Amino acid sequence: MATPTSTQGAQLSPEEIGFLAGGPGRAAETALARLLDAELVRVARDGRVSAVHQNGHGATTSLEARVLKQVRTPVWFHKVVKNAAKDQETQALHRRLLEAKLLRRSRKRIVVWWLLVAIGVLLGLLSLLMPALLFGAFAFLWAGLYLRGRRPLTRAGKAAVSGTPASDRVFAVARYGFFGTVAGQSVHELFELPKGVVKTASGQRKPAKRRRTGGSGGSSCGGGCGGSWSSDSNSDSGGGSSCGGGGGCGGGGGD
Amino acid sequence: MAGIADLGVGIGWRPEIDLTVERLPGVDFVEVVAENLHIGHLPESVTLLLDRGVPVLPHAVSLSLGGAEEVDLARVEHLGAVAEAVGAPLVSDHVCFVRAGGLDSGHLMPVPRTRDALDVLVANVRTAQRNLPVPLALENVAALLEWPDGELTEGQFLAELVERTDCWLLVDVANLYANARNIGTDPGRFLDEIPLERLAYVHVAGGVEHGEVYHDTHAHAVLPEVLELLDELCSRVNPPGVLLERDDNYPSDTEIASELAAIRAVVDKKRD
Amino acid sequence: MSGTPTAREKLASQQAALLNALLANGPAPDGFDERRIDVERRALLAKRRGIVRMLGPDIADTLGDRFQPLFDVYAAENPRRTGSRAREDAAAFAEWCRAAGELPTGRKARWKFWRPN
Repeated sequence: MATPTSTQGAQLSPEEIGFLAGGPGRAAETALARLLDAELVRVARDGRVSAVHQNGHGATTSLEARVLKQVRTPVWFHKVVKNAAKDQETQALHRRLLEAKLLRRSRKRIVVWWLLVAIGVLLGLLSLLMPALLFGAFAFLWAGLYLRGRRPLTRAGKAAVSGTPASDRVFAVARYGFFGTVAGQSVHELFELPKGVVKTASGQRKPAKRRRTGGSGGSSCGGGCGGSWSSDSNSDSGGGSSCGGGGGCGGGGGD
Repeated sequence: MAGIADLGVGIGWRPEIDLTVERLPGVDFVEVVAENLHIGHLPESVTLLLDRGVPVLPHAVSLSLGGAEEVDLARVEHLGAVAEAVGAPLVSDHVCFVRAGGLDSGHLMPVPRTRDALDVLVANVRTAQRNLPVPLALENVAALLEWPDGELTEGQFLAELVERTDCWLLVDVANLYANARNIGTDPGRFLDEIPLERLAYVHVAGGVEHGEVYHDTHAHAVLPEVLELLDELCSRVNPPGVLLERDDNYPSDTEIASELAAIRAVVDKKRD
Repeated sequence: MSGTPTAREKLASQQAALLNALLANGPAPDGFDERRIDVERRALLAKRRGIVRMLGPDIADTLGDRFQPLFDVYAAENPRRTGSRAREDAAAFAEWCRAAGELPTGRKARWKFWRPN
């Protein structure tokens, strides 16, 4: 497996573009998209992703290799994305993008964010004494929210993202996520995947890199995931398929 | 029923490859494993295929019609209910036994080719037929071992079964190949002996050679030798349908599509 | 109409003897090729093992190289009974492993809670 494409210059890998455009979750989605595009994994209607081959061959990045390994046995789509988003390879990707000055360090942003919120709250409290300060409170809190929602991209990072070919479906996932739209078409449709299958956390949230925010936005399912998958269609079939108790009509092979 | 409608080329629908089956070009019909479906709760993918007008044929694996135990009518009723739920023109199971002596083999075991075993099979098949809303087709299985004291060839055994029960035949050419390899069945003689006018459709599947035996795994590629047997069958009769079975170790969409194309090429070959 | 009782009874004992040989390490019935009985036994075992692996990949992963030998011992001791389900088989194997001290009992799940991430 090759190391990811250089983070210098214009030639960024889809995963890197994905991270820039949508954070670790998007990078994870992009790795999965690349594997789908190369027919190295398949998705079933129940939402489970599985590797087509068990040998792990075909990955072009370390993150793809991790995903391939993970899905040797079927894993829910959203779990694949969630696990890959938290993977150390994604963290390494993040570091490389910081070093390449495509991303801003988040610590500075966090300090500014806390400052804005603190001033906003303070003004809010003071407005009990002087109601006119309420406007100021709103202004600071709004600025805080704005900053939080804003992407931490540098100018070079923005340029890299906007320069990617939207015609390529893997790059389409990188830029917009499986839930995004490109040229009026949903990105998941480019992969012939029904909407119900591609439930990802990142598809439903702002593309900014988020810190841990409890249940509302992080990499948890944000409300949507459980339902349609909980009634696992296989669960009561006696296990897989067929032939007097599972495994299909085929024989067990040698050993 | 005068004959089986033209089915074309199909593939076994399995939940793991449901989207693949929906996307593949040239899938004229599918087969579902009846035991894995629940009436009133059909998989979305199966419903979608039905809406598209793709015939869905229930294939059973647990009736154990070749078994010595009385037929389990609940299983037959379920098969019939699945047939009605998907509007199938016929259903199928195997010439085999699955259970005996309180044990479940988890697989399709060959039956002894004796007159006694045939009598039991015929009685069981008639019971099943009486309780099914559509015709029943029966499939030859792949054997790794041979029962002693066989009185009939496999072809004679099936021919007599058809004659006495008026069932249809589902000929699995991969199983035929397996038996030729493993227990010395003569495929040409088999095809000569069975009543090809009662052929419902044909199964094709992959397998692997392991040691001295061929394992019909449905988890490997289809061997050229199996396609040759399909060709041999097609030279005698125009089969109403041919279906690819894959149950595990699913290859990419492209590879499955090329296996279907290879089957179609054999079926479509111009015959004199 | 139905097969004569004697034909059924004869077939029943033949089939039961074969499955006993194949699934429960019983003696090979007369007239069978013992090597083929062995091939069939291993094929049935591999199929059953594959299903249990598919239904419980975590257990198979935890056991690693021990999965196959352990399963094979379990399977011969516990042939699948008529009416049992594959999921019950997988659960029974896990239970069997725990009883044999091959799998940790219950503590693992709680560990996860304390892990970071």
